[in-house]
Amino acid sequence: MYLTYSSRLAVQSIWREKWINLLSVLTIAAGLFMIMLTFFSVYNIDLATKKLPEKFSMMLYLNDGLSEQDRANIISALKKNSAVERVKFISKDKALEELKGVLKNADYVLEGINENPLPASIEIKLRQESVSIANVKKLATDIKKIKGVDEVEYGEQFLNSIHSIKAGAQTLGLLLISIMSTGVVFVCYSTVKIMFYRRKEEIETFKLLGATRAFIRAPFVIEGGIIGTCGGLVCLLGTLAFYYALFNKLAVTMPVFKIIVFPSEIFVALPVAGLVLGISGAVIALGRIRFS
Amino acid sequence: MIHFLNVSKIYDHQTALRNITFSVEKGEMAFVTGPSGAGKSTLLKIIYLSEKPDEGSVTIADWELSKLKESSIPFLRRNIGVVFQDFRLLDNRNVFDNIAMALRIRGMTEYAVKENVMEVLKVVNLRHKADSFPKTLSGGEQQRVVIARAIVGEPTVLLADEPTGNLDPDTAAGITRMFKDINAKGTTVLVATHNRELYRNTGRRIIKIDNGTIVGEEKG
Repeated sequence: MYLTYSSRLAVQSIWREKWINLLSVLTIAAGLFMIMLTFFSVYNIDLATKKLPEKFSMMLYLNDGLSEQDRANIISALKKNSAVERVKFISKDKALEELKGVLKNADYVLEGINENPLPASIEIKLRQESVSIANVKKLATDIKKIKGVDEVEYGEQFLNSIHSIKAGAQTLGLLLISIMSTGVVFVCYSTVKIMFYRRKEEIETFKLLGATRAFIRAPFVIEGGIIGTCGGLVCLLGTLAFYYALFNKLAVTMPVFKIIVFPSEIFVALPVAGLVLGISGAVIALGRIRFS
Repeated sequence: MIHFLNVSKIYDHQTALRNITFSVEKGEMAFVTGPSGAGKSTLLKIIYLSEKPDEGSVTIADWELSKLKESSIPFLRRNIGVVFQDFRLLDNRNVFDNIAMALRIRGMTEYAVKENVMEVLKVVNLRHKADSFPKTLSGGEQQRVVIARAIVGEPTVLLADEPTGNLDPDTAAGITRMFKDINAKGTTVLVATHNRELYRNTGRRIIKIDNGTIVGEEKG
């Protein structure tokens, strides 16, 4: 009963102050659109950095003159490590062959070299979940201690860059989303506060007639929720337009955009985020209602 | 039903009520009278908890107000019908909705609200004005809407603050009759007024107040 009457009051109030509410809805929609863009960017950066470690590998260069048994021991020790997915031995001859393949017509640089200067090596492919800076550094240190291993190479710079980009994007994204969310809450807060002051006399009369806090608050909370949800729905329309432009227009002319992924959860999350932020703004705006 | 014991109220170093002690028994109808600024409205405001006394204790229907939790105030107010001096009618709602508000805050169903409001509109003889808005009504009609709103929830206490303020003598007499009828049904009625015509020859108790102090009691 309370809810039906409160909802009716909320809808009446929204209609009575339609222009100010429309402005709030558009402002909330703009704020939510920025939040969506930030989330979308961070999501794609995260996805891209997740894919890069698939190509990540470690190279172990072995000492010259290592016996078959020592080599087998090293490979066996590596295979036992839970972070290691695949181990590939590259002999000195194979290494030279590969180098020649790479040099092709420039193989004259090898002329005059009688002895194979390349060391035998082992290529290690790590499990994707193990490719973190700390894990790789620890593994490299452990491997270096194995007898017969001369040097370990793993592209430290490359790994650091990936993790820096990922961490930076996440931190910046979180910061931007927090700021935008606070902005949306503030818009809802201001709208409900204005409505509350405009209906101050009416609320005073309600109080004197015996209305409880819940009865007084309910229409404003519903109003905040409706405004927030409408903001979310308007933002959803904008997002659909953005999605259409990105995948049906830009991706056709510029194939690079084809690698971008658009998480479909965004379509549901926007109205829900609007609702939650709208209600939060209303609750903060109403504060504590006093009766005397 | 209403008990004041040594109650004082001070506004910005100005004493509105000084050491007031009096009682109104259950089912009684009494008048509080005195000149403007004597403290009549403040006294009523303390009863319906719009103001807190600075000293003394007030008990309404066994509820000691100083011990009352703030969250319980709405429930006590539902037992007190108030005819406000400034009416407090909502101009953007019609007569029906203004009266219905007192029932809707109690969570009553729309069917029960409609039944009760139409019944009380009959009592105040305003059934034909249910869809009218307050600004289109005369002073007397507005006053009757306020009375209807005050009694629709069947309160145990009815307070009226200058209920005949701007009304002509005939309308004022009609309002007084209405209060008597409400009182006859068992509701305790306390009317604050400076209009002697309202309590003359009623045979009811009159509490005289001046400068925030009770200066005497007599029968009307």
